[in-house]
Amino acid sequence: MCRIGFRCIKMALRELSSLERFLGLKKPNKYSTQGGKKVPVLQNNNGPALIGLVTIASHLVHEAKRPELLGNSAEQRAIVQQWLEHRVTRLDNCSKEEVKVILKELNQYLEDKVYLAGNVFTLADILMYYGIHHIVVELAVQEKELYLNVTRWFDHIQHYPGIRNHLPPVVVLRNRVYPSSHH
Amino acid sequence: MGFGDLKTPAGLKVLNEFLADKSYIEGYVPSQADIAVFDALSGAPSADLCHALRWYNHIKSYQKEKGSLPGVKKPLGQYGPAGVQDTTAAAPAAADEDDDDIDLFGSDEEEDEESKKIKEERLAAYNAKKAKKPALIAKSSILLDVKPWDDETDMTKLEECVRSIQLDGLVWGQSKLLPVGYGIKKLQIACVVEDDKVGTDQLEELITAFEDYVQSMDVAAFNKI
Repeated sequence: MCRIGFRCIKMALRELSSLERFLGLKKPNKYSTQGGKKVPVLQNNNGPALIGLVTIASHLVHEAKRPELLGNSAEQRAIVQQWLEHRVTRLDNCSKEEVKVILKELNQYLEDKVYLAGNVFTLADILMYYGIHHIVVELAVQEKELYLNVTRWFDHIQHYPGIRNHLPPVVVLRNRVYPSSHH
Repeated sequence: MGFGDLKTPAGLKVLNEFLADKSYIEGYVPSQADIAVFDALSGAPSADLCHALRWYNHIKSYQKEKGSLPGVKKPLGQYGPAGVQDTTAAAPAAADEDDDDIDLFGSDEEEDEESKKIKEERLAAYNAKKAKKPALIAKSSILLDVKPWDDETDMTKLEECVRSIQLDGLVWGQSKLLPVGYGIKKLQIACVVEDDKVGTDQLEELITAFEDYVQSMDVAAFNKI
């Protein structure tokens, strides 16, 4: 079993239990994994098994009666889904070369937005934060300033009450070291 | 603190720089701080000030709740990057208090005529203060081991000889006699020297000059003070 795969399982399951805690769900669920990629599975006694991080996360949001976390309008819901999909299809298990592309795109996207869905905090912010943490924690100061919008958004989300949980905080200097570059 | 005059392009630029890596004026949630600054703007910032515009649009979306946001509105001069001239309140008073707040990584755009003058004045005052302080002299504490020829050497006389060495920058300290074996005792004596004036070679020369008593001298310990 390759190291990256293993970290992904642990992270996916810890992520889901962090999400449960954030949502205030009293009874923690028991998760298992399936397949080579170790996709998380939630076996509901009442119904079919739920497979996949996004599926399970969305289910938890509904269980906690916080549908606003999935978006308040059709457009917002679509954007949230877009970023949840982005997390699983592009961010997870991406190669080193792809990381730069992802960060650049995210940086551009966040230039005029405080949250991924614009002005409201959604599940997209939560799952993208969890998914991108291992990348941001390794960035050098100069890189953090290069992807300034990502850093700003990341710092904001990690301070959101109830989100950071098991993840170590990433230090963001409040005064920039390198002169501003205009994007 | 403060952004300068937020109704001018210069002030808006400061705001824009400030918000590049922050979602809110203070902390991580919208607060009265954001409302205070929002109300001070005469309208939406232009598109080239992308961070200010992002923040502006975000805070605008909280218009309905602005009364219930946390915090207390403070005068505008209290927000923003440290090290910027506060042009909102009585300027001289604010400038004095900011003496210790000099932003280490402050951006260059904040320099305008007035703040430059204040900075120069502060720099001159700081240098004057520094000049009055007496220069630090480098000193070391040395522990010397002075060994006699045999067990019949008069150790008191030996110590007298060593202490008779008077040099500028040399102060003798405590001493004691330590047995080394066969009834021979060595003199362990401490001294404090000014590095510029006295060196261990010099000491060794002077001490071993007392050939009748001193067989050799070693440095047992050397610490910088």
